[in-house]
Amino acid sequence: MNSGLRRYGIWVVVALVGALCWGMLALSRGETLNAGWLLFAALASYAIAYRFYARFIQNKVLGTDDTRATPAERLNNGRDFEPMDRRVLFGHHFAAIAGAGPLVGPVLAAQMGFLPGTIWIIVGVVLAGAVQDMTILFFSMRRDGKSLGQMAREEIGPTGGAAALIAVLSIMVILLAVLALVVVLALAESPWGSFSLAMTIPIALLMGVYMRFLRPGRVLEVSVIGVALLIITIFGGGWIAESSSYAGAWTFTPNQLVFALIVYGFVASVLPVWLLLAPRDYLSAFMKIGTIALLAVGIAITLPPLHMPKFTEFAFNGAGPVFAGALFPFVFITIACGALSGFHALVASGTTPKLIQKESQVRMIGYGAMLVESFVAVMAIIAATALDPGVYFAMNANPALLGDTVQSAAQAVNGFGFSVDAQTLTGTAAAVGEESIIGRTGGAPTLAVGISQIFSAVIGGTALQAFWYHFAIMFEALFILTTVDAGTRVGRFMIQDLVGNVWRPFARTSWLPGNLIASALIVGAWGYFLYAGVNDPLGGINQLFPLFGIANQLLAAVALTVATTILIKMGKLRYAWVTALPLVFDAAVTLTASWQKIFSTDPAIGFFAQRAAAVESIESGKLSDTLKALKAESIDDAHQILVNTTVDGVLSILFAVMIIIVIADAVRVWYGLIWGGKQSELSEAPWQESHLDSEGKEIEREPVGAGR
Amino acid sequence: MPDGLLKPLRYAWDYLKEISGENADDRYLAIHTATHPGKRAMTRGEFYRWRQDYKYNNPGSRCP
Repeated sequence: MNSGLRRYGIWVVVALVGALCWGMLALSRGETLNAGWLLFAALASYAIAYRFYARFIQNKVLGTDDTRATPAERLNNGRDFEPMDRRVLFGHHFAAIAGAGPLVGPVLAAQMGFLPGTIWIIVGVVLAGAVQDMTILFFSMRRDGKSLGQMAREEIGPTGGAAALIAVLSIMVILLAVLALVVVLALAESPWGSFSLAMTIPIALLMGVYMRFLRPGRVLEVSVIGVALLIITIFGGGWIAESSSYAGAWTFTPNQLVFALIVYGFVASVLPVWLLLAPRDYLSAFMKIGTIALLAVGIAITLPPLHMPKFTEFAFNGAGPVFAGALFPFVFITIACGALSGFHALVASGTTPKLIQKESQVRMIGYGAMLVESFVAVMAIIAATALDPGVYFAMNANPALLGDTVQSAAQAVNGFGFSVDAQTLTGTAAAVGEESIIGRTGGAPTLAVGISQIFSAVIGGTALQAFWYHFAIMFEALFILTTVDAGTRVGRFMIQDLVGNVWRPFARTSWLPGNLIASALIVGAWGYFLYAGVNDPLGGINQLFPLFGIANQLLAAVALTVATTILIKMGKLRYAWVTALPLVFDAAVTLTASWQKIFSTDPAIGFFAQRAAAVESIESGKLSDTLKALKAESIDDAHQILVNTTVDGVLSILFAVMIIIVIADAVRVWYGLIWGGKQSELSEAPWQESHLDSEGKEIEREPVGAGR
Repeated sequence: MPDGLLKPLRYAWDYLKEISGENADDRYLAIHTATHPGKRAMTRGEFYRWRQDYKYNNPGSRCP
């Protein structure tokens, strides 16, 4: 009894703290809440979930076995298979799953108030996102690190496998386009931002040469040099922005930036990796971890009040100016990373499972790293909702609704039901060193303003606010570009692999013509969507972001389907709800969102409703009232809308069909296993005894000595 | 410096070296000398290139 109290007493306290914080969030009436409540509600929930639910999954559902040798131990080759210390692997895995996603999605979803996003981020990660990451990591580890696509083919069947492969490739394209769009929107008309991001290229080249020829493998010292140069560059950007002769040369229109990004993406994909990609990876990894840690400290010190209401009316009427659509399903589509992200299933199957020392460590690495990513998303929602809501809407609403001046923007924001005056908007822009903050969509600038207010409250005051703003912009743009580089490379290899099945030489990744053609194809694909997004008369982010969210959650559905199938095959039918329930919810969300995007008659939401309005305008030769209400300005706009909505609409249909195929194919397999009396064949690697202890030391032999 | 301060600093430094791959070469050498005694090991530059080339020719995905 006494030991039970000692053992669980602390957890009773944690549960009470969590309940109190959740109560404050739920029951507050009108008064401004402090971010601390949100922070501790999240931390207490994570702690309880990690201690109890994740352990339940580890022991009962998966049944991890530490006497069984992991692939890292059996196949150790010092390169991709290698037992890695769990704390180090945790860092690697976290760096691979955390990108711009958990920062952008919550900012956009903040238009519905702080509560819908917060609940989904915390409940979603505990019951769905972290569960997906952990189970896929475990199953891939039991299969020597097979990829999600391979597992889908082997466990479900060739149809489901093919659908999963097409899903992955098309998602990659949309993803890269949306991320590149975020960068374009953040840097357009900003000489400071453009300069500091452009300078990361020569810095990376310098680092690459240094690591290749001068001091091979000295990663830490070169990273310190790189980060120092980066900070200097950000200050340099401020000087450029104020200089009358250089500011103009570094001010770019969105279309110029699109062109620059496409050229950059192609060159980065073709150049040898040691020159640009590898050094950028180091630079962005250090910046990422550093800034996230800094943000956590900043929020903990300042504990800002949350000015955004709990719910705004846009949660219910679906008429939000940032993106259209009601709370269900669009909050769950907009916030993917941080709550449930299918992309993680690609990381969790592939690289990480080949490095795990002990089976039980999937809890810390799979479940734990995802909890930390969720915490990043919580910080993003705090940064966005601590802003003055008027400023938030003036930055994020579709620019067509806001007009070109601070007066028209202030008026539009008042029309949304929030108040802001023109001076506040001018003042905020001046404080962060920008010409204007009106209609700076994409999430990154909003987050940067939020971060700059938090950081400057701790270090430097208003004098450094502009620096912190551009620091945040640079940090987001830098690691988005790293993702674009890496994603382009993955896509290029996929294309070379696909075509290589038909024509052999193409599969050789070192063959230059194959490299050039496949790179051009993949860059051209995301470049097209990027260009269309930037020039979309209806606003690129609000059109493309839902598509990206649907695609990401579709991948999560594939992952959860694979996980459920394997659980049934392992004879764990009575625990299959652990992945099946999130799957049902995710499928409901994805299919409802697809349904609305395809069939909704509301032209603010449905692609084909928009298309019909465009067709009507083109046929009659003048803009229809519907398009005017959407703020289209000319017949040229109508032509553009026709093309964009056709492509977006067809993609929505494709995604919805894919998810239905994968799930239907899996249900066929489940039926055969449960009622059809089919024998289940597990494709696990056979059991072998482990010779490592939980710290990775050999159990039987003496550790071998070092030295050349 | 007091021991209480030195210890976490040393831990952080070791962790950084480990996570950045700075000491991957040392580990490779330890395993190499144990499993192939007498055979020539790769130099630091060779090892580093070998590892990097492999990593980028088999790219994993990462999250947005």
